[in-house]
Amino acid sequence: MQSQAEPRANRRERLEDVLVVDTDVHVHETPGALLDYCDLPWRKALEAIKDIPERYLDIPGFSPGESIGGYQAKWPTGHSYTRMVLTREQMRLELDELHVNLAILFPDNLLKLAVLTQDEYPAALARAYNAWLVDQWCEPALGLLGAIVACPQLPEDAAREIERYADDPRIVGVYLPCAGVDPLWGHRRYDPIHRAAEAAGLPVLLHSVTVTHPVYPFNNHGFDTELGRHALSHTFSIMANLTHMVTTGVPVRFPELRIGSFEAGITWVPFLMNRLDKEYLEKRRDVPFLTERPSHYLKRYFYATQPVEEPEDLADMAKVIELFDGEDSTVFASDWPHHDFDHPMKVAQIPLAPEVRRKVLGENALRLFGIDASGRRT
Amino acid sequence: MTSDAHERPVHRVGRLADFPPGTHRVVEVGKRSIGVFNIKGVLHAIPNLCPHQTGPLCESPATTGTLSATKESDWRPEWVHDGEIVICPWHGMEYHVPTGQCLAWPNIRLRTYELVVEHDVVSIRL
Repeated sequence: MQSQAEPRANRRERLEDVLVVDTDVHVHETPGALLDYCDLPWRKALEAIKDIPERYLDIPGFSPGESIGGYQAKWPTGHSYTRMVLTREQMRLELDELHVNLAILFPDNLLKLAVLTQDEYPAALARAYNAWLVDQWCEPALGLLGAIVACPQLPEDAAREIERYADDPRIVGVYLPCAGVDPLWGHRRYDPIHRAAEAAGLPVLLHSVTVTHPVYPFNNHGFDTELGRHALSHTFSIMANLTHMVTTGVPVRFPELRIGSFEAGITWVPFLMNRLDKEYLEKRRDVPFLTERPSHYLKRYFYATQPVEEPEDLADMAKVIELFDGEDSTVFASDWPHHDFDHPMKVAQIPLAPEVRRKVLGENALRLFGIDASGRRT
Repeated sequence: MTSDAHERPVHRVGRLADFPPGTHRVVEVGKRSIGVFNIKGVLHAIPNLCPHQTGPLCESPATTGTLSATKESDWRPEWVHDGEIVICPWHGMEYHVPTGQCLAWPNIRLRTYELVVEHDVVSIRL
């Protein structure tokens, strides 16, 4: 991965010359695609909705609820709001354009799995998705690695899924759906998932999506605009779920469990650490199992950059990373092909030391997912 | 850019009929990719490159207008610049084509290229 030319000390390495691990890209799963992978009787439910004209991240009985501005006036735009990737070959070609070497696959529609009100049905969807993902998408030789989805409505079943894929070379993480999850991740009812992931050596990956769901921390029904809904629903969800994980003692009960945060940006990380540390001074007895300040535990976890904040002076972002000791815990993500994806060049433009830039663009993610630079699990 | 405008090279990009009002096309001039717009009968040209994250700005399917709200409108939205706004397909950043002005970032103004129409032939003067 080294450039042929002698690198000048002050020259920024080209993206082509560094390892870029994209920790969050999205495949497009539909009811029809999952049919053959789904158990009866739930397969019948997928058959019943497979021909419904698809609306983006909004399929009744599958991914209910508008996610891209359907609660407000729709103005004409040239913005490609509904890009999707339908095959692994398409994904590989498009990731080549972004100079991405390895990518971790997340779902599209099942970002809303936690919103479904039943137990057995979302569990069947999760099993079908996981089997489809491994069969149709994951290909280490193409640099495409998968995160299986854990169904929060049926934690024991999710734990069995983690055990099923524990040693699969194509699976490198467990995705925890955050949109609408109730109770928040960290609750002891999810311990089978935490335990299985820790035992499998697989990180758990917190990822939300915009839902208008009258459950803390979304409360999106209160916003007039998609700007408000979208800006806060991802970030508040991740902040709430991480706060609950730390304050319910997940880091001490599962000390080897690696945790990653996705699609929430990173500027809130110093805020959350400082805020929780301040609360800890007064309310330590609420969390007597924590022997260190909350920030101590949060610093063990990983934070994906997308949607990376873009202050006028990008040096501010270097400062933000420094504020949470993020040199070893910040990981690049593009969120391709979604409307708010980041090209890695924007993260590469942050004025970081060359070795830190390489860590953020790729090397830190290898530790998060327990893989080597060729995508092999270590 | 030389100070003598007449010495700047002129590149033919098509016939006037190739650019009907209300449409735009991306043309290649050397290594440059340029969007040529016909807005209400007047031709405009801007780079097909969004300075935000290098998205293909002018591959947007159609120009639109945009919303403005001022004290005079009692801070209520008004539809303005109809047909004069191009929106980047990558991240939705808006630009006013005739001026190159980026709406979200006031300090960004795209360069605009000079267009020459002679005998129904459209050229860009670089």
